[in-house]
Amino acid sequence: MRPREPRPADFLPLTPAVLHILLALADGEQHGYAIAQAVEALTDGTVRMGPGTLYGSIGRMVAGGLIEESTRSRGRGGDDERRRFYRMTALGRRVLESETERLARVVSLARAKNVLRRPEPA
Amino acid sequence: MRAVEHVFEIILRLYPKEFRRQYGDEMRAFVHARLGEPRYATPWGAFAFVWHVFVDGVGGAVREHLFARTPAARVSGAPSHEAPIPHNEPPEELMATLVSDARYAVRTLRRRPAFTIVSAITLALGIGATSAIFGVIDSMLFRPLRYPAPEQIVVVSMTRGGSLREAPAYPDFVDWREQSRSFQSLGVSRSQSLNLTGRETPERLSGNFVSASLLTLLGAEPLAGRLFAHDETEVGTASPVAVISEGLWRRRFGADPAIVGSSIVLNAQPFTVIGIVPSTFAFFSGTEVYLPITYYPNNAGLTRKDHSMFVVGRLRPGVTLAAADAEMRTIGARLAEQFPTENAGSGAHVESLHTLLVGDVRAPLYIVMGAVTLLLCIACANVANLQLSHAVARRREMSVRSALGAGRWRLARQLLTESVILSALGGLLGVAVAYGGVALLIKILPIDLTFFSPIRVDGRVMAFAALVSIVTGIVFGLVPALHASRTNLKDALSTRTGGLAARVGRVELRGVFVVAQLALSIVLLVGAGLLTRTLVKLQQVDLGFDTSNLLTLEFRLPATKYTQPEQISNFFTRAIGEIRSVPGVRNAALVRAVPLSGNSDARAYAVAGAPEPEKGQAPVLQLNTVSPGYFQTIGLALVTGRDVTDHDDAHAPPVVVVNETFARREWPSVSAIGQRIRFVDSDRWLTVVGVARDAKHFGPADQPTPQAYIPYMQMPQIFTSVVVRANRDAIALGPLVREAIWRVDRDQPVWKIRTMDSLVANTLGSKRVLLALVGVFASVALLLAGVGIFGVMSFAVTQRTHEVGVRMALGASGGEVLRLIVGQGLRLTIVALLLGLASAAGAMRLMASQLFGVTPSDPVTFATVPIVLSAVAALACYLPARRASRLDPLTALRRE
Repeated sequence: MRPREPRPADFLPLTPAVLHILLALADGEQHGYAIAQAVEALTDGTVRMGPGTLYGSIGRMVAGGLIEESTRSRGRGGDDERRRFYRMTALGRRVLESETERLARVVSLARAKNVLRRPEPA
Repeated sequence: MRAVEHVFEIILRLYPKEFRRQYGDEMRAFVHARLGEPRYATPWGAFAFVWHVFVDGVGGAVREHLFARTPAARVSGAPSHEAPIPHNEPPEELMATLVSDARYAVRTLRRRPAFTIVSAITLALGIGATSAIFGVIDSMLFRPLRYPAPEQIVVVSMTRGGSLREAPAYPDFVDWREQSRSFQSLGVSRSQSLNLTGRETPERLSGNFVSASLLTLLGAEPLAGRLFAHDETEVGTASPVAVISEGLWRRRFGADPAIVGSSIVLNAQPFTVIGIVPSTFAFFSGTEVYLPITYYPNNAGLTRKDHSMFVVGRLRPGVTLAAADAEMRTIGARLAEQFPTENAGSGAHVESLHTLLVGDVRAPLYIVMGAVTLLLCIACANVANLQLSHAVARRREMSVRSALGAGRWRLARQLLTESVILSALGGLLGVAVAYGGVALLIKILPIDLTFFSPIRVDGRVMAFAALVSIVTGIVFGLVPALHASRTNLKDALSTRTGGLAARVGRVELRGVFVVAQLALSIVLLVGAGLLTRTLVKLQQVDLGFDTSNLLTLEFRLPATKYTQPEQISNFFTRAIGEIRSVPGVRNAALVRAVPLSGNSDARAYAVAGAPEPEKGQAPVLQLNTVSPGYFQTIGLALVTGRDVTDHDDAHAPPVVVVNETFARREWPSVSAIGQRIRFVDSDRWLTVVGVARDAKHFGPADQPTPQAYIPYMQMPQIFTSVVVRANRDAIALGPLVREAIWRVDRDQPVWKIRTMDSLVANTLGSKRVLLALVGVFASVALLLAGVGIFGVMSFAVTQRTHEVGVRMALGASGGEVLRLIVGQGLRLTIVALLLGLASAAGAMRLMASQLFGVTPSDPVTFATVPIVLSAVAALACYLPARRASRLDPLTALRRE
């Protein structure tokens, strides 16, 4: 039996680490340490990933086809040889979209139930 | 590489191989980059980082193992975010349960940072210290020596009388080599310092006179040039060639490769450097120059009289130690018959080099290992107690989980998982402690480590630390886990903190831990006490002479420059004159072997008028050669008769000064003055002219031995030492005294400029180290035990607040409450004292070999330790008790 093409819905819900890695890669390819720094910056330091979480997630994401190693990565302009670059695949982008939509639905549901406070006026 | 990165290396090993191959390098780079961030530069930041890396890394590793085969939902966050509470899980879910247990445990530990940090540090100290000591023991006792096929390397010694380890003479070595069949080769070594001259400053080097076979049988490979050829080190065919160490080559010759083939002046004779041995090869620490044994400079030459050789052999493949020993015994017996004058009563004995090297250190090492294991047990008991007190806070959680269907085993396993994770954390920090510990031990151990595999924190030590961590985690976790999981629904839903019976039970259980801690501390304290008493006794021993403000230094005249006895005594007379003229010097004299310096000379002797001793049965005395004024200089009193004088020269009748033990043994009823003795290898009779007090020669623990002193002018020697009595501050005179010697002859390296007080301290060195280690462990143990009993009493007070309130409401005074609480603590202490003293009495017998002047059941120690421990325990009980006695009854009653 030939395995069917993966559908974005198969991956949902994403773990926080996977979600944030995808968000960090939305701007373009990055290497591991830069991803961790980007995630930390994007979340004001609330999501801090260690090497185990980061590369564990990267490993699973590569295996699941959400991201791939960048082919132009090795030994680029002065970067450390050991650094590999990753970029989002088309599937990854669709998964990110689906997850964001799902989250948006959750948020609007929460709003409807008055669970979520509206942002304070500035 | 920083310690955190070492820790991370260990964590990486937890990951599946494939994953490690794929991402290991990147993860290392990640950690490295993170370490560069300023926020982790502070100690606290570094700790936080270790913690983060640990939790993240270990969790990640478990996840990778677990999900490696289930690709479908691997990026999904759905499974097991919360710890599930399954009742009886099927086997395939076991692993998942373990993971959730682990995750839950990590979260629980993070919620209690104080508990986690205190426990982890306690365990880290215990595990780290144990691992460091294990590293030393592993290197010295369990691992082979650092030579190729080290199990074949043996030492052949001479036996004489009851002694198995007498040094043979060079001709013995030659005979052994020719007659034995058990060895691939036999090599000989005689270490002695050398004078290097002919360059800017004369220097004393650490030399080793060897046969060519010694270096090859130990597997030496030259770094440059070559090693000795057989003929170059044999009598008759020897040539002046030298092999130098890499260390000397770098230090003294600026790593100049041209040194090979060039000439250096050693003991005033030119030698051609033919090779350099790398610093990885070492035979006796610090050997800088190897010379052919035939150039060994001494009076007797390589005769059968000079018993100072060290013979090493490599067994033929298939020959056992026992077979070689049997063969050498036969050969030894044959030589004893063949040379009745020199070899009478002697034999030969083979033992492995390893056995010889570790013989004296085995017992102290095991004692230290025992002490550190006790400490680890105490640390475990401490953490177990902490766990128990936390179990109270978690009682409700346990009850609810139990009510929701968790079995007792399931709950216990959850708690056990926490313990093991905690101890794993302790183990990781412990590896850092072990790194420090090993570095420290290498520095302070008074042992020549060059023979052994390098001591370091390697895979074996880490594996040991890991094993200890897991075992400790289970040991300190199991009892609290089983106890805390013993819960029932009624308990859970009726009261918040559990029934009275449960509370009492837990206090009792904690009491058991405290008793164990205190009892183990007593064993350590008694050990430290006995060693302290030993050291004090050793320091109190009357050495026979005055050690204060006494300076000693050594030098040797080049034999080729001073060939005539007159030249030698002339040099010495002038040198002493120069030294005495140095301001601040009160007196100075020459002596062949300074007491406590390790140098010595022993001779068999015969007494005039007494029956001639049997061959090989003659009594032996310690011989020293001295200049006039020696006794006065070191403050060794003459009991009767006179000192040697300037008139006792080569032309005068030979004289000798003996010690009291000698006089008492040989002439118990008549005066020793005027009696005559001779050495069995000579027919010159020496007349006794004086009797001196006994002087300790090797150390304070020496037994009284016959000693004799002869004037140096009647036996001139090129090797000698100077003793200088200073008015004050002896060591400051060192350079001035050296200058004084150089005023007579510039080409004299002068070395080992030391005060007598430092020599005294040296003889106590190994005991000091043993005491320092056991003492530190005992102090930490006492501290932990104190904290333990304080914790349990505070807990008891909290638990009994209500009861105390009732008692006070009914009229009990603060003092009565104080007595009640302190009494409870002291009952625990008394039980611990009884147990601890009994265990100590048994354990201390193993220490007997390390004691001096005290018995293993020394009453002073056994009386003092309980007082110290009781005082600590009383204080630890008093503080919580005082709190209880000041309770306001109303507040107390309202508390529950």
